[in-house]
Amino acid sequence: MSFNQDHLGIIQAKLSSGETASTCHEASLMQGCVCASRILALVEHEGEWALFIFISSRMPPEVFTDLAIERVIPIDNDFKCEIDAGEQSVDVYVNSRKLKLLFKMIPSIKTNNFVSEIMRSMEDLTKRRDPPPEFQWLHKYSGSSTSSRNKTDCESATTDITEDDASKEKMLDLDSPDIVVSRHSVAQGANPIAARENVIQHQMSLKENDYTYTQILRVFIGTWNVNGLPPTSSLTPWLASDMEPPDIYAVGFQELDLSKEAFLFNDTPREEEWRRSVIAALHPGANYKQVALVRLVGMMLILLVQEKHEKHVRNAAFETVGTGIMGKMGNKGGVAIRMEIHNTSMCFVNSHLAAHVEEFERRNQDYHDICSRLSFSKFSPPKVIDKHDQIYWLGDLNYRITEMEPRIVRDLISHNSLGALLECDQLNRQRSQKNVFSGYREGPITFKPTYKYDPGTDDWDSSEKNRAPAWCDRILWKGDGMDQKEYRSHPILRTSDHKPVSAMFESQVRVIDVVKYRRVHEEVLKKLDKLENEFLPQVTVDNTEIIFDVVRYLEAQSQELIIANTGQVPVQFGFIKKPDDSKFCKEWLNIDPAVSFIMPGEKCDVKLEVCVDKKSASKLNCGEDKLYDILVLHLEGGKDIFITVTGNYERSCFGSSIEALVHISVPVREISIGRLVELEKGEPPGGMEPYPIPKEIWFLVDHLYRHGLKKQNLFLLPGLNSELIAIRNWLDNGSSEPLPGSLHSIAEALLLLLESTAEPIVPFNLHSVCLGAASNYLQCKQIVMQELPEYRKNVFLYLCFFLQELLSHANENGLDAKTLATVFGGIFLRDPPRLSARGRGNLTAMDRKKASFVYHFLVNDLSDYVTSKVLHLGPTT
Amino acid sequence: MAKKTYDLLFKLLLIGDSGVGKTSILFRFSDDAFTSTFISTIGIDFKIKTVELRGKKIKLQIWDTAGQERFHTITTSYYRGAMGIMLVYDVTDERSFENIVKWLRNIDEHANEDVEKMILGNKCDIDGKRAVSKDRGDAIAREYGVPFLETSAKANTNIDKAFNDLATAILDKFAGKEPGDAPDRVMVDPRRGDTSRRSCC
Repeated sequence: MSFNQDHLGIIQAKLSSGETASTCHEASLMQGCVCASRILALVEHEGEWALFIFISSRMPPEVFTDLAIERVIPIDNDFKCEIDAGEQSVDVYVNSRKLKLLFKMIPSIKTNNFVSEIMRSMEDLTKRRDPPPEFQWLHKYSGSSTSSRNKTDCESATTDITEDDASKEKMLDLDSPDIVVSRHSVAQGANPIAARENVIQHQMSLKENDYTYTQILRVFIGTWNVNGLPPTSSLTPWLASDMEPPDIYAVGFQELDLSKEAFLFNDTPREEEWRRSVIAALHPGANYKQVALVRLVGMMLILLVQEKHEKHVRNAAFETVGTGIMGKMGNKGGVAIRMEIHNTSMCFVNSHLAAHVEEFERRNQDYHDICSRLSFSKFSPPKVIDKHDQIYWLGDLNYRITEMEPRIVRDLISHNSLGALLECDQLNRQRSQKNVFSGYREGPITFKPTYKYDPGTDDWDSSEKNRAPAWCDRILWKGDGMDQKEYRSHPILRTSDHKPVSAMFESQVRVIDVVKYRRVHEEVLKKLDKLENEFLPQVTVDNTEIIFDVVRYLEAQSQELIIANTGQVPVQFGFIKKPDDSKFCKEWLNIDPAVSFIMPGEKCDVKLEVCVDKKSASKLNCGEDKLYDILVLHLEGGKDIFITVTGNYERSCFGSSIEALVHISVPVREISIGRLVELEKGEPPGGMEPYPIPKEIWFLVDHLYRHGLKKQNLFLLPGLNSELIAIRNWLDNGSSEPLPGSLHSIAEALLLLLESTAEPIVPFNLHSVCLGAASNYLQCKQIVMQELPEYRKNVFLYLCFFLQELLSHANENGLDAKTLATVFGGIFLRDPPRLSARGRGNLTAMDRKKASFVYHFLVNDLSDYVTSKVLHLGPTT
Repeated sequence: MAKKTYDLLFKLLLIGDSGVGKTSILFRFSDDAFTSTFISTIGIDFKIKTVELRGKKIKLQIWDTAGQERFHTITTSYYRGAMGIMLVYDVTDERSFENIVKWLRNIDEHANEDVEKMILGNKCDIDGKRAVSKDRGDAIAREYGVPFLETSAKANTNIDKAFNDLATAILDKFAGKEPGDAPDRVMVDPRRGDTSRRSCC
């Protein structure tokens, strides 16, 4: 089942002119926990993009008529696409308004390409300068969707579910029953369980509000560029200046160590020195545990939580990105730590961006590089900074105050006119132009610039460079429920040419209520179970007990069984074998179709035909088998239904043994079934002297002898079924009328009579002996005279006499000994059942031996065999 | 809330005479509903239900079998692969109770050797027509060493308990064994990526 871009042409053929399918891919649409195969295609029309979802009647599609458009989703501002790439599948969540779809794709380069094409089309939208797209061209597709509701606006293209308020409910009920789904065996495979797990998680995330409550945590963020110096004084004024102890500390440093060793080998004793001084200065009102510490050259970030929160912290991870020399080195860049605390994810980024007044664009670029290159790789898929509920970004961002003389800047600061300066702050300007930190917020700055001081003092830089003061050190944030309470600098710490900065947040985290979580989880499970049960294949059959009244030899009868698909998914059904059976039904029964496929709401008529023929007649006659069978109708991935088939078989001379028939002087129908079964079992016959051969054979041969010696192609052309039935009735019921039917039918009746017995004229145990002796007439003769059971020997010789008589009229009837020997060879020496099941390779050689066995008796004088006068042909009584 | 916890699939089977309430028991357990109309099960049907036991999500696939005598040779072929079998009789039907021994023998002949068994005396809400006392149920269960409960699908008595007990017995038996030892058991992705790195380098 391969699907590739070659199929793009087929999809293109399905589209209208002006619409171009740029790429397509196969995906499984998750419907509850059942996945259904779909084809997705990205289609463009005059710069507008839409995602088309196709159902294909076969996979891969061969012509465009195989495809039906299920949904069309415009890629507009409401279109969202999220990727969750796992090892076994790539989950693509497509959201548009209230429509939520989950597609599973097989991880591959093709999948990656397809997904990035979707992303690219979404980017196209954001870059678009024209008025927002209107998607007029999609209106025509709204009719073909699964929804029949009338809509007039653009939303019509997105089909159903969009209006319902209960969107969470709807996610579960996405599966409208009339959607064509290819069913997977829900109940058996391992895959559905894995699929279910994803669906459960997805459902749980949608219901988060139902089982979480909000708790406020105090988050302290600190940043300080320490100019390569070791700690000289306590950090308490910076880290523990508040009354209440913070719940979380994220403390970042830049220029921890400016030495060559630190730069080249990323190794420095300063890490431990500063770590210790941080820990020594933490708020005395609580105990803290370190979650993680990360350092890249001079950038260090340490994350701590109060001891009581430690057990609620999960999935902590850290990463670094260097954007310095060559765009890679760690003298500039960022370090980050992420964690989940309760049910909220947090990311803390400490960055040191490019220096120098005029380099604000480099700083912007560094920010973008950090965002794009920093991802927490231990997760699958790797988590990027933006994928967190709360992001705290701190550091020496290095943005300066432009277009102002250092002297004027200092003047304004001394007059406490920070407002004018903040207007010239590069970060503020770049942010207002949306060039950097989009989506981030920063609290109002009320403190003096934190750069650049003469170390050890509160005096502005007095060096030759005479740098203008700037707010290099900043704290920004992004996310919901984050409330900044403090934003300040701590000038009292004079170690560095920068002053440390800190911010205090009151941040809301989602805390799981275990009791509620369990209840919601249980509900989700229950709902999925219900869905899964509803999505099991379901059918009804109109009758589980099929009764045939009277069934006669060679007379086929049939009844119909109606299987209706009453479930929600297509059903593949088939009749299956019972244990110890070689076939799913008895040999007298024929089922058509025995395997088929029914769409929901549709029906399938199954024809059950009973026909007792030469293969099955003898077993039914002797009571070894009955017209009784239980069929197992199996639904693929679902239940089994038992169907009982019964009938009354009317016994016939066809299927009776030679030995039984010679003991019956009346038509077979006139003796009781019990008597017939007794005779078949070889019970001692009572009363009458047995015939040398069955009277039925005599009737048939006698008729042919009298009327058919000159008939062309006797035994070579088939008879008519209706005539065979008339002959059967005549033989079984007796009649004063002459034997009905044409000579060919009578000839075939004779062959059938011989073929329907349980054992052929030559018993199965002599089969191979006869074949071995086939080339030697004397041996053959000896076997026939000494080994064949008495009545069968009689029949054998009687028929050979008759065939010799036929051959004596060869110039009239055109028959020859070889042909007849071949016909009767197959009948006298019928293969034992186990042999006929074997390979066909040796069959012709075997057939030749059978023919040559019989041939001897057709061309040699048989007069000395005859001991009984009865075997003479002709009208004797 | 582990990201990927592993799941188990247990296949259970309901057997017993026709009309003892196998389908009703399953219907009560899977759909929490009851209907008193009797529709004979002609075949083998199943439903799934997820339960959580010992912190594990377990998917039960419960097979309901035809109880009618004429189907017995076929239904026994479904025993193999079952990890648990519920043997149900009707406390108002003496004969269905007497047949328990026959059903137990059937299990011995056709089911996996280590299958977990449980005997249920159903319809225990019907007091007036009771034909089999709880003591007799207890006695036969003790004799064969099989857990026993009286249940009522109609009154929802002991239904959840019966399935949970049987599933727990299976779970406990396989605990500690290699996953491959358990027939029909499906293992999915042991949890990964859940160990927090608490400190740097």
